[in-house]
Amino acid sequence: MTNSGSRIDHLEENIIALLLGIMTVLTFANVVARYVFVSNIFWALELTVFLFAWLVLLGASYAVKKTAHLGVDALVNMASPERRRTLALVVTGCCILYAALLMKGAWDYWAPYANLPPTEGRWFPMGFVEKFRGNGWYETQDIPVPFFLRWLEDVFNGGAEYEKLPKVVPYLVMPLSMALLLFRFVQAGARVWRGEIDMMIVSHEAEDDVAEAGKALAEEEGK
Amino acid sequence: ACDSGEVVIKFSHVTNTDKHPKGIAASLLEQRVNDEMNGKACMEVFPNSTLYNDNKVLEAMLQGDVQLAAPSLSKFEKFTKQFRIFDLPFMFNNINAVEAFQASDAGQAMLDSMQNRGLQGLAYWHNGMKQMSANKPLLVPSDANGLKFRVQSSDVLVAQMEAMGASPQKMAFSEVYGGLQQGVVDGQENTWSNIFGKKFFEVQDGTTETDHGILDYLLVTNVDWLNGLDADVRDQFLTIVSEVTETRNKESTAVNAAAKQAVIDAGGVVRQLTAEQRAAWVDAMKPVWAKFEGDVGKANIAAAQKANKASM
Amino acid sequence: MELLLLFTMVIGLMLIGVPIAVSLGLSSILFLLVFSDSSLASVAQTLFEAFEGHSTLLAIPFFILASSFMSTGGVAKRIIRFSIALVGHFRGGLAIAGVLACMIFAALSGSSPATVVAIGSIVIAAMRQVGYTKEFAAGVICNAGTLGILIPPSIVMVVYAAAVEVSVGRMFLAGVIPGLLAGTMLMIGIYVMARVKNMPSGEWKGWREVYQSFSDAVWGLLLIAIIMIGIYGIPGITGAIFTPTEAAAVASIYAFIVASFIYRDMGPLAAGEDGVKSSLLQRPQALVTALWHEDTRRTLFEAGKLVITLMFVIANALLLKHVITDEQLPQKITEAMISYGFGPVMFLIIVNIILLIGGQFMEPSGLLVIVAPLVFPIAIELGIDPIHLGIIMVVNMEIGMITPPVGLNLFVTAGVANMSMMGVVRAALPFLAIMFVFLIMITYIPAISTILPNAVMGPEIVTH
Ligand code: NA
Ligand code: NA
Repeated sequence: MTNSGSRIDHLEENIIALLLGIMTVLTFANVVARYVFVSNIFWALELTVFLFAWLVLLGASYAVKKTAHLGVDALVNMASPERRRTLALVVTGCCILYAALLMKGAWDYWAPYANLPPTEGRWFPMGFVEKFRGNGWYETQDIPVPFFLRWLEDVFNGGAEYEKLPKVVPYLVMPLSMALLLFRFVQAGARVWRGEIDMMIVSHEAEDDVAEAGKALAEEEGK
Repeated sequence: ACDSGEVVIKFSHVTNTDKHPKGIAASLLEQRVNDEMNGKACMEVFPNSTLYNDNKVLEAMLQGDVQLAAPSLSKFEKFTKQFRIFDLPFMFNNINAVEAFQASDAGQAMLDSMQNRGLQGLAYWHNGMKQMSANKPLLVPSDANGLKFRVQSSDVLVAQMEAMGASPQKMAFSEVYGGLQQGVVDGQENTWSNIFGKKFFEVQDGTTETDHGILDYLLVTNVDWLNGLDADVRDQFLTIVSEVTETRNKESTAVNAAAKQAVIDAGGVVRQLTAEQRAAWVDAMKPVWAKFEGDVGKANIAAAQKANKASM
Repeated sequence: MELLLLFTMVIGLMLIGVPIAVSLGLSSILFLLVFSDSSLASVAQTLFEAFEGHSTLLAIPFFILASSFMSTGGVAKRIIRFSIALVGHFRGGLAIAGVLACMIFAALSGSSPATVVAIGSIVIAAMRQVGYTKEFAAGVICNAGTLGILIPPSIVMVVYAAAVEVSVGRMFLAGVIPGLLAGTMLMIGIYVMARVKNMPSGEWKGWREVYQSFSDAVWGLLLIAIIMIGIYGIPGITGAIFTPTEAAAVASIYAFIVASFIYRDMGPLAAGEDGVKSSLLQRPQALVTALWHEDTRRTLFEAGKLVITLMFVIANALLLKHVITDEQLPQKITEAMISYGFGPVMFLIIVNIILLIGGQFMEPSGLLVIVAPLVFPIAIELGIDPIHLGIIMVVNMEIGMITPPVGLNLFVTAGVANMSMMGVVRAALPFLAIMFVFLIMITYIPAISTILPNAVMGPEIVTH
């Protein structure tokens, strides 16, 4: 593992930990606000939901890098090494196709909220649509605009004031995460090609814990 | 299922198909379009939020993935703040005043007011006037002091609850019954048909007939889709829409009256306000108007007041 | 027909090793592009909607986090000590205590594998030491661990509630009696086996040990009270304090505090090289430093990773659900089944079979997201209580976890116990029989599931 690689790992891990931490504290704070102060952080629920989406969608590409996605390995494990490599290449193709289609979908979904044109074409992007309606004015339900994001008004709303955070912000995670996902699948594909890995999945969740517990038990029995 | 060559009209809504006023209207529309426009158009109804909820359906409509929806009027406040007039407390005396305002030039102009943002309002569908319920009797505004009320996401409704000293709370609709019963929140506001349909009255001390607000829906479509239809298809479709609207809106008063009676029959407590008590509620809530006057427009408020007089 | 094509594709992709989430998502996208006019943008929208439109799913990350703090914080070993103090002296006592510990831990945790890992890694070793066979130990824990999703809180119940829009609180209550019943049936089964095979019994260490082990475990056990009282209140004393989602968040914060400051098994006060725990008085700055202590960061990250992989499957399963709805397949299936004249009994048998087969391929939450919307409308049409249907589905998921080839608990147990998969499968078999009897009882006696929620929350309102 190169140094920059582990630095990025560390960054991604911290983002995951931080997002989950903020979600928890925000929800807890709302309970305190309601029960202790008979008040309500009205925007807490919506913001927590958006953080949840960011956590999972951004995290999906991290899970590709760490081959942590859940899958079924029963059949793959029975195949010969050569067959496994072929299968893994097919699997990579499927994953790349999935991420590429979603990448187009994510752009087409997000772009109007950023007053940018969606792409032409049903399956494959064939250039940009010429005539479209920008939805830069479209706001989220409850989240106020923090002071440091006031510049959004000039960029996306023709200078008109936003009462609530515009949708362009939370939905940004769609193209962002799908681009990352596509990138990680292509990278994983290269590793399969070079023969470094032959699977895109971890067989089951909790594998690390299980391995650890199993090791402890083995030591216990060795005594 | 739709045959090839037919214009497909997907209608996504959030209620059942046979008990809720909106669901009944949607089913009637579906039936008439599929009978009378067979070969030209075909309607598929997706009830119970199975396809989209009220927040996402408008996004999907702008994308062109769904053609008809009927969210509550509050949802259109993001498109134009004029729609806040329907959330302002005691803006309308009764459902007839609402009807008169919606039919007026001001009300009809609002149907077209979102064209630049991609939506075309087709018709107002009534649910009815909103009532207030809580886990203690509500007779004067101070009774609501310090109570936690579940409201829809709307700045006006938040301000309304704060004006009566209550704390507005956000909660998913599916958790409201449990929330009221278990005491996570103390009260809520809704129409008789929702209070009966969702059985809120069972878990509240009682419901006060405040008629303080209106819960209506806007049948809406994508303006580009509508303009792209052949003229004869569009005209026939719009005619059916307006006939269904008229039929169902006439029923709405009866539906709510029946729901109210059903609440009483099921042992729910319904409280009426005296003239003085009602005046106190109006006094407490009316300051909210000033805050949103600029959003709604003085002319619209004037038109609403005119409608109130006409419907006395 | 289209449905068959869709599911063949999903299963085919999974079997060649495509991640479950991608199998679900790619099949949905291709199906939608071929058979519908919906845009790719609508796919992206639906993926985001998985979070934005289902705020009840928020309970999942919080319950996972609470469970992570509890496992890291050594709560499991205290619960086990308490269980052994209570029932360890019966014949087969350690095994019975293992089941009891699984039941208690299940009331803290929302997942079955987490329960197996937390309890199994300690109990299986202990059982081996006093002379139980490895197979017997593995079989017991593997089965009892499935109670993690039946005894509330439960991630699978949260997913069901979100998929068909019933109240999470009601689902949780519905799991209480079935959970206790299943646990009791397992304990009786073990006791009978223990008498027949003359298995070892522990010694009765007296009420003092019961009291001491209870005092030691009480901070963990209090979490159960926080969750239950928080969601339902105490009749006549206090109303509820929070929604199930909020309960999960509160549980996480509480578990963090207990693990870092009371048990001090993790965080700045944990034992260092010298093996001595510090007290908060010695190091008051720990109140703040615990927030970014490596153990805290690690636990948040590990829980986050679990949330990501699980929720990515669920989000893609919701994509498949969207496509199925878009094609109006549930209506078509309902019409077909009603026209064949299926009654509730036949229908429930079919549901059981679908879930048991589906459970061979799918992670339980993802399977539920797909199957629930298909069978829910039919169930309502046939007058089956939605909560009862939910519990039936959960019990099916439990059984799916302990049947080959894909049984999450089988795999986890094999890892924890250092056994082969087939070894665990054989070991689990006698207990599996008990679970099947239990499934039949749950399926045909609705009252087991509905009596408690109906008593506490009134009868379920069917609004669909
Ligand atoms: Na549990
Ligand atoms: Na299985």
